[in-house]
Amino acid sequence: MEREIVLTGVSVDYGNRLALDNVSTRLDAHRIAVIGANGSGKSTFARLLNGLETPTSGSMTVHGLDPLRQVKQLRRRVGFVFTNPDAQIVMPTVAEDVAFSLRGRGLSKSEIADRVASVLAENGLGDHADAPAHSLSGGQKQLLAICSVLVSDPELLVADEPTTMLDAANTRRIADLFAALPQQIVLVTHNLRLAERCDVALLFDGGRLVEQGNPVDVIGRYEREFA
Amino acid sequence: MQALGLYRPGSSILHRAPAGGKLIGLFVLALAASVLPASLVLLGSLSVIVVVLYLVAGLGFRELAGQVLMIRWLILLLTITGLLFLPLEDALANITRMVLVIVLAGLVTLTTRTSDLLNAFEVALSPLRLVRVNPERVSLVLALSIRTVPVIAGFAQQLRDAQRSRGGRLSIRAFVVPLLVLSLRHSDDLADALVARGAD
Ligand SMILES: Nc1ncnc2c1ncn2[C@@H]1O[C@H](COP(=O)(O)OP(=O)(O)O)[C@@H](O)[C@H]1O
Ligand SMILES: [Mg+2]
Repeated sequence: MEREIVLTGVSVDYGNRLALDNVSTRLDAHRIAVIGANGSGKSTFARLLNGLETPTSGSMTVHGLDPLRQVKQLRRRVGFVFTNPDAQIVMPTVAEDVAFSLRGRGLSKSEIADRVASVLAENGLGDHADAPAHSLSGGQKQLLAICSVLVSDPELLVADEPTTMLDAANTRRIADLFAALPQQIVLVTHNLRLAERCDVALLFDGGRLVEQGNPVDVIGRYEREFA
Repeated sequence: MQALGLYRPGSSILHRAPAGGKLIGLFVLALAASVLPASLVLLGSLSVIVVVLYLVAGLGFRELAGQVLMIRWLILLLTITGLLFLPLEDALANITRMVLVIVLAGLVTLTTRTSDLLNAFEVALSPLRLVRVNPERVSLVLALSIRTVPVIAGFAQQLRDAQRSRGGRLSIRAFVVPLLVLSLRHSDDLADALVARGAD
């Protein structure tokens, strides 16, 4: 399976400012951290990876797919976890929300129920299957959002500051969950300890990719120059 | 927050009955409650039916009372306007009709998973395909609305807390504007999530 993200001179222009400025990179590491100050372009980079945003210029492929021409396939293979789980949970109850991700895939009802039950059980939400989503704690909501992504078995998981709204215990829990996943992960985070646990880190500044490499070195530069 | 009578898991005959059947039953009973000439016998027997159904569903009087309590302001409003413009008997009959219909609808949502309800809606709405409306989209909108009520209620709570913590009096303008902003931003985020989750 090809596991490579390739960007060649990609810029994203919002009219009056460049959110990404001529970014080129080639990524095949398992776990990729993305760090940088607020407004540096991290979210824009993340959103490119499943076609939520498209390049204004330049070209890119994600696992061999072109986001402009193959966006449907791309979205099936790339799962996206947002910062605020409340905006990501679209169905009223826990099991229904997970099942929502499997709509239109030609699976039987019982197959869907099995897959939903097993992903919830694996992530400690088995007892909450029929609970209303709004009755969950913040950490449980983010776990649910992640379950809803994992149930469709993506090849690449993109998470944009998934632990920003969580306390230390829940952050740890999600970090451990991510660490155990076989999929490629792109993790945008301000939590430098999480970034440190990745295989490679990217540092953005003002829309430019200013450094890519060993997380310890990249974090070191970020702390020296930007913090 | 118990904004809507969401599904209570159970194994009663009502829980196991097909959602479509329950919707048809609801429709028939609601129709009877609203259009048949009001009489003590009619409203009395419908009330008995409702109570029995709640008991059969294993929900009991507490849940029934909870459903009525949830619409207490509506009842109050209708009582006041009813008493102003109608003879006492008619006012009472109207309120009883409305409470019966709402409580019956509550019974359906309490005993039916939202997804089953939505599937039944999709079937009921399938003639819309003829006019090129996708029933799945309609039912998705319904699901999103149900999901969004507690989220917006949460925003309202945050704003109230923020105002209280600053010791100010509750100001409507300082409440409505940020609530709108939060809600609009939420709908933006939700739209992103729907796209990312392949709902288009
Ligand atoms: N939809 C948009 N319209 C206009 N400008 C935007 C939009 N989204 C992001 N930006 C701008 O692009 C820049 C990069 O934003 P973003 O990728 O969200 O940064 P980060 O996630 O690192 O905080 C910021 O200056 C931001 O204001
Ligand atoms: Mg961001």
